[in-house]
Amino acid sequence: MALTLSIENNIASIIFDDDDSKVNVLNADALMRLKNILNEVARKSDCKALIISSKKDGCFIAGADIKEIEKIVEPDDGAEKAKAGQDIMNAIEDLSMPTIAVIDGVALGGGCELALACDYRISTFNPKVKIGLPEVNLGFIPGFGGTYRLVRLVGLQKGFKMILSGKPIAGEAALKMGLFDKMYPAASLDASVAQFTDDVIAGNYKCREKKPKGLNAILEGTKFGHKIVFSQSRKSVLKLTKGQYPAPLKAIDVIEKTLYCGREEGMAIEREAFGLLAITDISKNLVNVFYASEKCRKVSVGVKGQDVSKAGVLGAGIMGGGIAQLLSSRDIWTRVKDINYDALALGLRSAKKVYSQAVKRRRYSKAEADVKMGHISTTLDYSGFGQADIVIEAVLEKMDVKKQVFKELSDNVSPECILASNTSALSVTEMATEVKHPENVIGFHFFNPVHRMPLVEIITTAQTSQETLATSLQLVKKLGKTPIVVKDSPGFVVNRILLVYMAEAARILTETGRLEEIDKIMTDFGMPMGPFLLSDEVGLDVGLKVMQILHDAFSDRFLPEPLFEDMLVDKLLGRKTQKGFYIHGKKRSVNQKVLNNLEIQEQALDHEESLKRMVYLMINEAAMCLDEKIVDDVESIDIGMIFGTGFPPFRGGLLRYADSLGASYIVGELLRMNEKYQTDRFTPSAYLNDLKRSGNKFYE
Amino acid sequence: MERIAVVAGYRTPFCKMATYFNDMKVQDLGRTVVRELIERTDFDPSLLDEVIIGCVGQPADAANLARVIALKAGIDEKIPAYTVHRNCASGIEAAVQAVMKIRSGEGSCYLVGGAESMSNIPFNFPKSFQDWSLGMAKSRTPVQKIGQLLRFRFSMLKPSIGLQLGLTDPVCGLNMGQTAEVLAREFGISRQEQDEFALSSHTKAVEGREKLREEIVPVIPGDRFKKAVEDDNGPREGQSMEALTKLKPYFDRHSGTVTAGNASQITDGAVALLIMTESRAKELKMKPLGYIKEYAFAGVEPNRMGIGPAHAIPQVLKKADMPLSQMDAVEINEAFAAQVIACVKALESDEFAKQFGYEGFTGKIDPNILNVNGGAIALGHPVGSTGARLILTMLKHLNRNQLNTGLVSLCIGGGQGAAVVLERE
Repeated sequence: MALTLSIENNIASIIFDDDDSKVNVLNADALMRLKNILNEVARKSDCKALIISSKKDGCFIAGADIKEIEKIVEPDDGAEKAKAGQDIMNAIEDLSMPTIAVIDGVALGGGCELALACDYRISTFNPKVKIGLPEVNLGFIPGFGGTYRLVRLVGLQKGFKMILSGKPIAGEAALKMGLFDKMYPAASLDASVAQFTDDVIAGNYKCREKKPKGLNAILEGTKFGHKIVFSQSRKSVLKLTKGQYPAPLKAIDVIEKTLYCGREEGMAIEREAFGLLAITDISKNLVNVFYASEKCRKVSVGVKGQDVSKAGVLGAGIMGGGIAQLLSSRDIWTRVKDINYDALALGLRSAKKVYSQAVKRRRYSKAEADVKMGHISTTLDYSGFGQADIVIEAVLEKMDVKKQVFKELSDNVSPECILASNTSALSVTEMATEVKHPENVIGFHFFNPVHRMPLVEIITTAQTSQETLATSLQLVKKLGKTPIVVKDSPGFVVNRILLVYMAEAARILTETGRLEEIDKIMTDFGMPMGPFLLSDEVGLDVGLKVMQILHDAFSDRFLPEPLFEDMLVDKLLGRKTQKGFYIHGKKRSVNQKVLNNLEIQEQALDHEESLKRMVYLMINEAAMCLDEKIVDDVESIDIGMIFGTGFPPFRGGLLRYADSLGASYIVGELLRMNEKYQTDRFTPSAYLNDLKRSGNKFYE
Repeated sequence: MERIAVVAGYRTPFCKMATYFNDMKVQDLGRTVVRELIERTDFDPSLLDEVIIGCVGQPADAANLARVIALKAGIDEKIPAYTVHRNCASGIEAAVQAVMKIRSGEGSCYLVGGAESMSNIPFNFPKSFQDWSLGMAKSRTPVQKIGQLLRFRFSMLKPSIGLQLGLTDPVCGLNMGQTAEVLAREFGISRQEQDEFALSSHTKAVEGREKLREEIVPVIPGDRFKKAVEDDNGPREGQSMEALTKLKPYFDRHSGTVTAGNASQITDGAVALLIMTESRAKELKMKPLGYIKEYAFAGVEPNRMGIGPAHAIPQVLKKADMPLSQMDAVEINEAFAAQVIACVKALESDEFAKQFGYEGFTGKIDPNILNVNGGAIALGHPVGSTGARLILTMLKHLNRNQLNTGLVSLCIGGGQGAAVVLERE
């Protein structure tokens, strides 16, 4: 039974408790039942109040059922589904008795909208309390009256912030902005709710009314002010989404229209927009990306992992410092070793910088950040490594150095200690030959900057034990990152796919000299930055090293263009040397020196063709990874590319995008390009050919 | 009775006030050295019975400093902690607390030490400013508020210097330096004698730098994490009699002999020691640096506080039933050159021994075994930490030279002396 009604002392209580799930979801069944219950409550004229709560631990209502939204294919169908929900929310609002939502956990999407329809919202101090409207992240907007009610309750600016970012907020923040009326300790919640209800019935509780002051009075209280808020919001959304995501803009449109009209009209506008958005490919793709990331996040192996409480980090460079900061932020005692104190000081400074920014953004209080920073200690020898549950090495990306380090480590850690290499391309299997317990060896490919990039490639060798993998997965999740599990192979998955694209981009550059234009092709496609700007950010030397490894391992599709070598000689490495493909001054400009080195054949740049060359090569490379069984599933590749390289989520991922084109079309184009460019680097992989033959897709 | 072992000890470098550790809070100095002790010994801190830290200038933002240090260093929340204050002997007091608790059967394993950031002892507003601010907060109406505003005086903003207050005896009213002048006059100790003593402290400390590194853990001071500090910065390489003679007497401008050069330096630093019963150490396979055999505290006149060791030493020897001549090495904390010399002279005097009934437990201290790697004049005197450092420095010295018995002692502001007998085997 999803929800039950009980009436005691003339106070009605609806309790959500879905037996089949860990969370409460507003699916069609639950909505139907809620509708019936509300009818029943409305008939009880002697009922003095209605309390809506949940029995689930840490969850009020997690939202509407995404699976039902996924099935919507007609705008009218979407609008109708939304109307069913809106009507129920209206019915709650229209009850003559006071209505109170009691929130002791997450209240997201439809759950938040239900709470908004109540007269009062009270919550507990449970840290799991989170309330928000995350719909835009899935490509649509709230459809149960959320856009209509939220801005009326908390004001236009705060309402926009919640709806447009989709980020849920914690209880204290909700209380502060007037979204919650009161907060109570969970331990005595029942008594507090009873008291609150009595006060409301007796008319002793007055809603807090916060009148905006100063500039806010104009922005919130006048039509002129609203205009400013609308236009500012549009601008900032456009800047962030480059217009590639319609949902937030649509949300602004809807609210602009509904702010001045009555409920009935407002609801109609909202559900119509919802219906139109819910059927878009973008929304479907975003929903699929959500599923794929959940799948990666929930991946587990048969055995149980160990909790990591003490870690060692070797190397205090950019990656080592970043990893140490990340570990310490999860209250893991972290011992960092490097060859001299200056290197260690540098690592501490970079960790400190991350913490300072986090304090500025109020992620941590100053005291919290100090304590966490204090979890990092430094050393020149292996003292303290004997207690480590895991050691992550982030020394120079050179095989002989890594092997030396692994050999030393093996003598200085406990036999159970996991030895992880942070490497972007080197063979973990080879490193493992140096240690006494190769089953404890695993690879972690963190992305730079460590604290911000959401992905970690976990690299397993043939000898890596399931226990080692389980503990590593658990740790990566504890660090707040999404893992993808990859078998040891040159370049793993993300860099391998990325670099085949970089190599091709460089070829197009050599042919045409249109550096900025090539970058623009890819940003228009949805990449956060083009290949050359990306190279500048990463550092050409870093990228080239990986490319050489890939070239050695595979074929000429990874052949670095001669222009890279020239740039390396000229120390045009990118942002770290201020000059790369671009000159990074106050304003970025193309580095003409790079172009001058080229013997450009002055070909015109064919945008569509160039895009195909770069992207189809990536698809083909991904198919080879699947063929070689480097990853177990297609989701890992798509999540790897989205979280690791910023491949546009609205396209659903690289392989989801390939599916929208169809394997037979891609194979045809690859063959055509092979011929046109007199090469074999476009030769379709066996996997793609199989898909073509069977008519299957990457995603079944 | 079971012996009480010191199994490990480390300290931060000692850095002159307002130098490298200026931006580091005392709790961070403390947690750094405690954490480093845990890391370097591979000791499981959940085996501790308690954490005891000595500190004199206890910070307002870390009440019960020991608890703050323990938690920040990753010691289990279940393990209690407290802070002790016996002025300059706070670090020794922390160790003595552990000894007493072990002897009384309370526990078997203690982390003790001292921590002091003299750079961070605050300036204080006068009480009148506090009262005025409170009045301001209490004013409700505009009239009351204006009235209170008018009561403001700029003199309310004149701060008192916490460090200065701390170094002034509240009973006799003398500054610590002035108490040294009292002893210098009483024992007829010349300026030259004091300066020579100071010079030798610097010379020994500079020569002993390599040895002292054995007890020091390098620290990369936050918040800026610019550069690691690996050595004490007090010892002066080129210290000369000429430079010392040039200094003006600091506490008595006209007829005084005590200068900044022959007094201890004002310094930041922290020390941690791991103390446990001999059997526990054996069980954990930890090799003790040595053992704390006996301790004693003595009271003297506040205006002659520097003579404290001359009383504490015979008292501790009496308790341990050992003659002074059996000591292989002696550390008397160099609060002031005058005060150490005074103690040495008093201990040499039969008359002194007779007067206080110390016969058999006093005698001549060979200058060659006294403060062999320099003392607080060169290394600095972070008041709450020094006592623990003396134990650490002495044990390392005994181990380095295969000596067996060591005596450490210090004078205590307010008129006390402390002494501890240590043995290596």
